Amino acid sequence: MANQQMPTAPPPQPVGENAKKYAWPVPPAKTELLSTSVRRLDGPAKAAGTAKYTFDIARPGMLYARTVRSPHAHAKVVAIDTSAAQSAPGVKAVVIWKDPGGEVMYQGDVVLALAADTEDHARDAARLVKVTYETLPHFSREEKSMASGATKVFAAGNTKEGQTQETGNLETGFKAAAHVVEATYATQVITHVCLESHGAVCEWSGDKVTAWVSTQGVHATRQQLAAALKIPETNVRVICEYMGGGFGSKVAADAPIVLAARLAKDAGRPVKLMLDRKEEHLDSGNRPSAFSQIKAGVAADGKLTAFDAKTWGTGGAGQGANFPLPYIYQFPNRRRSHVDVFINAGNQRPMRAPGHPQGCFATEVLMDELADLVKMDPLEFRLKNLPPQAPDAMWPEYYRIGAKAFGWEKRHPTGDTTPGPIKRGMGLSACQWGGGGRAGNAHVDIMSDGSVVVKCGTQDLGTGTRTLLPIIAGETLGLPVSAIKGEIGDTNLPFAGVSGGSTATAGIAPAIRIAAGKARDALFARVAPVLGVEPSALAVGGSKVFVKATPSKSLTWKAACKLLGAEPISVDGTWEPGLSSVNSSGVQFAEVEVDIETGITKVLRVLALQDCGLVVDKLTAESQVYGGVISSINFALFEDRLLDHNTGQMVNPNMEHYLLASMSDIPKVDVMLMNQPERGIIGIGEPPTVPTASAIANAVRNATGATVRSLPLHPHRVLAALAQAGKGGSRA
Amino acid sequence: MKAFGYVNPATEKDAIEALRAGGIVRPIGGGQDLLARMKDYLDQPDTLVNVKSVLDAKVTALPGGGLRIGAAMKLQDLSEHAQVLKLYPAVADAAARVGSPQIRHQGTVGGNLNQRPRCWYFRQEEFVCFKKGGNRCFAADGENQYHSIFGNDGPSKIVHPSSLAVPFVAYGATFRVVGPNGEREIPAAEYFTQPTMQTVRKENVLGEDELLTHVTLPAPGAVKSGHYEVRFKESRDWPMAFATVVLTMSGSTIGSARVVLGAVAPTPWRSPDAEQALAGKPLNEATATAAAEAAVKSARALSGNAYKIQITKTAVKRAILQAAGIKAV
Repeated sequence: MANQQMPTAPPPQPVGENAKKYAWPVPPAKTELLSTSVRRLDGPAKAAGTAKYTFDIARPGMLYARTVRSPHAHAKVVAIDTSAAQSAPGVKAVVIWKDPGGEVMYQGDVVLALAADTEDHARDAARLVKVTYETLPHFSREEKSMASGATKVFAAGNTKEGQTQETGNLETGFKAAAHVVEATYATQVITHVCLESHGAVCEWSGDKVTAWVSTQGVHATRQQLAAALKIPETNVRVICEYMGGGFGSKVAADAPIVLAARLAKDAGRPVKLMLDRKEEHLDSGNRPSAFSQIKAGVAADGKLTAFDAKTWGTGGAGQGANFPLPYIYQFPNRRRSHVDVFINAGNQRPMRAPGHPQGCFATEVLMDELADLVKMDPLEFRLKNLPPQAPDAMWPEYYRIGAKAFGWEKRHPTGDTTPGPIKRGMGLSACQWGGGGRAGNAHVDIMSDGSVVVKCGTQDLGTGTRTLLPIIAGETLGLPVSAIKGEIGDTNLPFAGVSGGSTATAGIAPAIRIAAGKARDALFARVAPVLGVEPSALAVGGSKVFVKATPSKSLTWKAACKLLGAEPISVDGTWEPGLSSVNSSGVQFAEVEVDIETGITKVLRVLALQDCGLVVDKLTAESQVYGGVISSINFALFEDRLLDHNTGQMVNPNMEHYLLASMSDIPKVDVMLMNQPERGIIGIGEPPTVPTASAIANAVRNATGATVRSLPLHPHRVLAALAQAGKGGSRA
Repeated sequence: MKAFGYVNPATEKDAIEALRAGGIVRPIGGGQDLLARMKDYLDQPDTLVNVKSVLDAKVTALPGGGLRIGAAMKLQDLSEHAQVLKLYPAVADAAARVGSPQIRHQGTVGGNLNQRPRCWYFRQEEFVCFKKGGNRCFAADGENQYHSIFGNDGPSKIVHPSSLAVPFVAYGATFRVVGPNGEREIPAAEYFTQPTMQTVRKENVLGEDELLTHVTLPAPGAVKSGHYEVRFKESRDWPMAFATVVLTMSGSTIGSARVVLGAVAPTPWRSPDAEQALAGKPLNEATATAAAEAAVKSARALSGNAYKIQITKTAVKRAILQAAGIKAV
């Protein structure tokens, strides 16, 4: 999947007829539910453990599957002997994924899977499979794979050159520069670490299969699973009621899902295949590495003049690693060339704002270095070099508001001069994202007993999507959320797109609004004669249908619906342009404490200002920002997929040595949601996870006077930067 | 995990019997390390011997003023024990920082001392290193940022994983070990073994058919002690380096000192250089700084862990400052 997603505004589309008719209530119109704080409707079920995730699905007669994977970074599969496994207790099916003669390209590349009657039997049997490998040369480091004269390990070459992008005139730009920075910035590979691992439960009935999948897209999974199984899509039903995180890594029907279906077919019994943590780290996606060798110039007045970058990175054994650069700030003259480098490691998958955290880090740290050269405050320097303010580019205003709220005026110049080993500092950074709506559909039924159901084939990957259905329908029908049932996570429901790229809410909310609006109008048509007015004279609110001019003339919701008799209202809505927008902007501030005698950074607090157009639910939107910030703290300080440089095997495929913040490592996070109701709905999943790491890196620089140009900010990097800057470490 | 038998002995003697029953037999206390090793196929015992009910889980005051700690005592209980807090604060401090609340409520003193290394190569089945009967240490020329900076000229570059071992050595503890031939008292410092080609598969002298039953701490005397752990993450992680110092005071001057370093060597690592730098000196910041420098004088970094020298130096200095009652940070 492409990961270069610089948001570019699509050509404006004419506002749809239904979108006009059912426009969102914007101020001064008052809302009952929209943009208020509504608690997740499934919170109690999740807390009580009654919410059933794919991991919890148990079917009668279900078998448990395990994969067998390559232990080698690169090898030819010479022979596979499953005889011992097949005669092991409880084994019912074996499916080969990689035939002898084929190559495994990284540790964790799937060779086969088997299913047995218990988890233990499956695990034991998997260990009895004998795969004979012929090991082949491998690369576990980008610089080795891309070195000239390197052994060719990948059929299409170890690298793939991108096109050079050039704007303006570099020579002129550097001539105008009073100062130039030349440096290389780097970010590491991190994995998605979904709390619920990848996997599926598959059950056949004749030539039809039902698949419970931990997925960000039930419909997309159906399409891909059907293609892999060579059966009609209409014979596949995919269900995902609850899921424990995807972050971009669960948008495709990958090998384990297909294997679960094939094992179930062969065994004639339902099969559950859920990955373990090691498989998650090795072969369930990751964020590519990014290296940026940059030369950048700034004029004496603080205006950026030129930017010249060579970049590279790895997305694993076959995927790209491109990222947007420079990020947000305006360099009038610029050139950038990129090379994808392949190494023998698990392939990348989209990960929350693909590419943006990488480009943001290189650019934002560079910005602070440039600001120091022209002796400007980083905020003032940024204000000078941002694109003009616009509804989808609110950085100047947000920076000013945020600086005031954060106490930016208390920031000292680079290098905390307070005596003692603990140095404090502040940093900031900006983000952007496209988001926006994709085709989505919804269906609304109003029954004669007054009950209402909203059906939409989206899925809730933990963001709170389920709660948005009754908020939007309730707002439209004048009902509380408790009066509306929402159904999601099933391909038997109307089509909706993948929950990815911050497009889910912007895709489904307009469809739900339109469907609910149509349902309301259909109800008005039935009620109007009884109240003796035209349908257009009616309104809803407070669980009543009433005459706008004389609100005392009304029917309760129940009484109104009773008029439906044997013919409930049953209507569809489809996304139309006009109720959603694309492109959002945000800024973040961080304050840190760095112990210069140990190199350890503690994040003290983070402030995030983020817009996402019209806020549907304040609580779930804020929750997205909290989660994004915490993820980015992990990216900044802790996470690092470490490959043994000799064997190419991962040394930390677990939750012990793959570091993640514990509760006590997470600072105070303040969120300021910048509501833009007039813009309609835009997603918020990606942007808040972009800038935190950069703001933290800049805060570390502000605290210590040492620039760490590589993530994560592990003590060894911080101490090395301090030693290079001649600042620290020496007091002990 | 391989299927295993489970034995519930009633007495210490029965437990020793059970350990000698044949096949691979392992004692299980809190199980915090053993069960994880079994799940990862690093250890595949035929039989587990439950020693929770036969081992002492209490602290007993000794006539001479010391304390005797039962090996089955939970780390949480140890960290909260009033006498331990008063007499051996570094022990309580070390216990309080182990892992997570869940681990401290389940893990025992004996388990903490006898746990296997956390080396990321050792912990994965596919890396058949010296400790598993293989013919190399993958960390030697591999990813060794968390490995040893002292005592790393032997075959294995691990660091000893026990937090308690370090203050126990610093306070001059002895370990009571029982086996088929009776019991013996082993000084803590002699219990842990530097890896040689002959001993590399183990980290201590405990026999397969022996149990560590008690830790005896001698009366502390006129000491000041300090304990400092450098931790990247606040919890659920291992210290990058740490130090316990026990200073025997003679007035305001340090008479003698014990400086023991943790997470830097295959054993709890005493630093004679730091101890010499402290002896006879006034207890102040200058002394702490000089002793910290001395502590790392003989450190030898591997390819990727030179930063640990600075971190170790800091741990030593701050442990001394803590003993002195001087605010370190």
